[in-house]
Amino acid sequence: MEAIEGDHMQHHSLTVFDKKKCTHFFDYLTDYFFQHHHSEEQRPDDYESLLYTVKRPYTAEMLDDIDDWMGLPKRQWREETQREVMLSLYAIRYPDTLLIESLTDKARSDIKRISAYLHFTHHTYSIWDEDTRKGLAKLGINIPSIEEADPFIYGAYVSAIELLKDVAPFTCFLEHDVPRQRLFQSALAAYGRE
Amino acid sequence: MADTEIVESYSQNFESWINDFSEWQTRIGFDPSWLGDYRFDIKFDWDTAGGEIEFGDFKGMPKWERRMQIPQQNIMDAIITMVSVQGDTEFASVEQQNHLLASAPTEYDRKSALRIMCEEQRHGWQMAYLLCTFFGEQGVREASKLLERNAQEGTRILGSFNEPIDHWLDFFCFTHFIDRDGKYQLKMLSTSSFKPLAASMGPMLKEESFHLGTGANGLRRIVKQGVIPIALLQKYINKWVSTGLDLFGTDDSTSAQWAYVYGVKGRYDERESGEEADRAHLNEASRELYFEELRKEMVRISKARKEGEPELYIPSDKFKRGIGKYAGQNYTVHGEQFEGTESEYEEYLVTVLPTDKDEEKLVNDYMKQEWIQYREWKQ
Repeated sequence: MEAIEGDHMQHHSLTVFDKKKCTHFFDYLTDYFFQHHHSEEQRPDDYESLLYTVKRPYTAEMLDDIDDWMGLPKRQWREETQREVMLSLYAIRYPDTLLIESLTDKARSDIKRISAYLHFTHHTYSIWDEDTRKGLAKLGINIPSIEEADPFIYGAYVSAIELLKDVAPFTCFLEHDVPRQRLFQSALAAYGRE
Repeated sequence: MADTEIVESYSQNFESWINDFSEWQTRIGFDPSWLGDYRFDIKFDWDTAGGEIEFGDFKGMPKWERRMQIPQQNIMDAIITMVSVQGDTEFASVEQQNHLLASAPTEYDRKSALRIMCEEQRHGWQMAYLLCTFFGEQGVREASKLLERNAQEGTRILGSFNEPIDHWLDFFCFTHFIDRDGKYQLKMLSTSSFKPLAASMGPMLKEESFHLGTGANGLRRIVKQGVIPIALLQKYINKWVSTGLDLFGTDDSTSAQWAYVYGVKGRYDERESGEEADRAHLNEASRELYFEELRKEMVRISKARKEGEPELYIPSDKFKRGIGKYAGQNYTVHGEQFEGTESEYEEYLVTVLPTDKDEEKLVNDYMKQEWIQYREWKQ
């Protein structure tokens, strides 16, 4: 299946979807989740700590802690950029991603960073991860690789994970207090690497 | 594979029930603005509901999709009772818990509790929808009663749902022990011969898993923090386990047997079990699976305790039972018959169940400290 770029992405992921391709993934979803989320590299205790400690009013230190867990270099942002991102974190409402388009180039320069901020402040948005993207591709949902935060492509990524949550059988839903998006995003990452 | 249908339009009966529901929210002090973008959708997973009756005397026949297809009035009554009891627990838990939002230990806990309450209300909606849509006047009357009984007044159908949940330790115990019973009940109904009931369970079970995870992880975080003594935690576990076990109903239950004969309610492992059901002991079988699961979960939770602390455990299934063959009998938490008088047993219970003094110490001393992991943002 060819990847469709731009504003068709969200529509594409929801309509051209073959559930049969998901059978293996759903059967082993809980194993995949443990492989990824509970791996040493993912530092699950630190992830959990962020869930409980990142809250309104957001501070630069909270964003530093998220960057640290993500393994991202320190932000080289001016004060205005940081304020702009903070404001967008307050304003955005799941599942909207279009607000990202209004951010300046500097703020949009790293999809991993922005998606992680969205994840830990809202718990609904998924962290952008290349392996997760590959996992989606194995299920027939082709989403282009990006570095910068493209609101349409990220929107498609978020919608695709939401769609999988919807069609997955209840046996996939682990008794875990991580957000359900994290459950699916982590499992997809392990599946994508396999 | 699951494919969820979301119902787009409602019957007049259900529309008027929704008005009553709004009044109920106001009456119990649940501010609808707390829901944010959350919508009370009616969801059906028809694929996993299956097409043929899976067990009982009607096995192999097509599942019933409408009231008129249900062959006997007593079967319809049994279904209405199942749906009503399930719905009753959903609204009761919100009545029990909503006052806790103001005292959440962290923002994430507050959001989690709110999410749980939203989803419990959605589950109640789903049950009220079934009653109003499929069961005529009788269903409409039962749906109204879901909003008339009240946990604070002690008029909810099941005992656990009239118990006060005074603080967050009770909340985590409730979501771990009582919502786990809920998972069992939902799974037992997921194979029901009444297809709209079976199809309601998949989406509800998806949501229930987070509730259980919240309870188990809350208890683990408390144990890990080590401020509330293990001996005191054990008392709360003793309290909630016995009420959780009672939720499975009486031993040798004939109503469970009839529900099985009708194909209305199966075993917890109905689809996985290759064995014939022991119809005379259905409640006992499900309770035993639940009890075993509790024991495994407690081993996991207990691992978080500080060095030198005693291990937490699940008390005996004979202890402090209100229903079944051990009801009203004096047993210790270890399952031994208590040797002594009634007053001596009362004295023993003070050592193994929370007392007013324990509550006072818990709320006004331990909970004023950093009693749970991540209690405060690290400034």
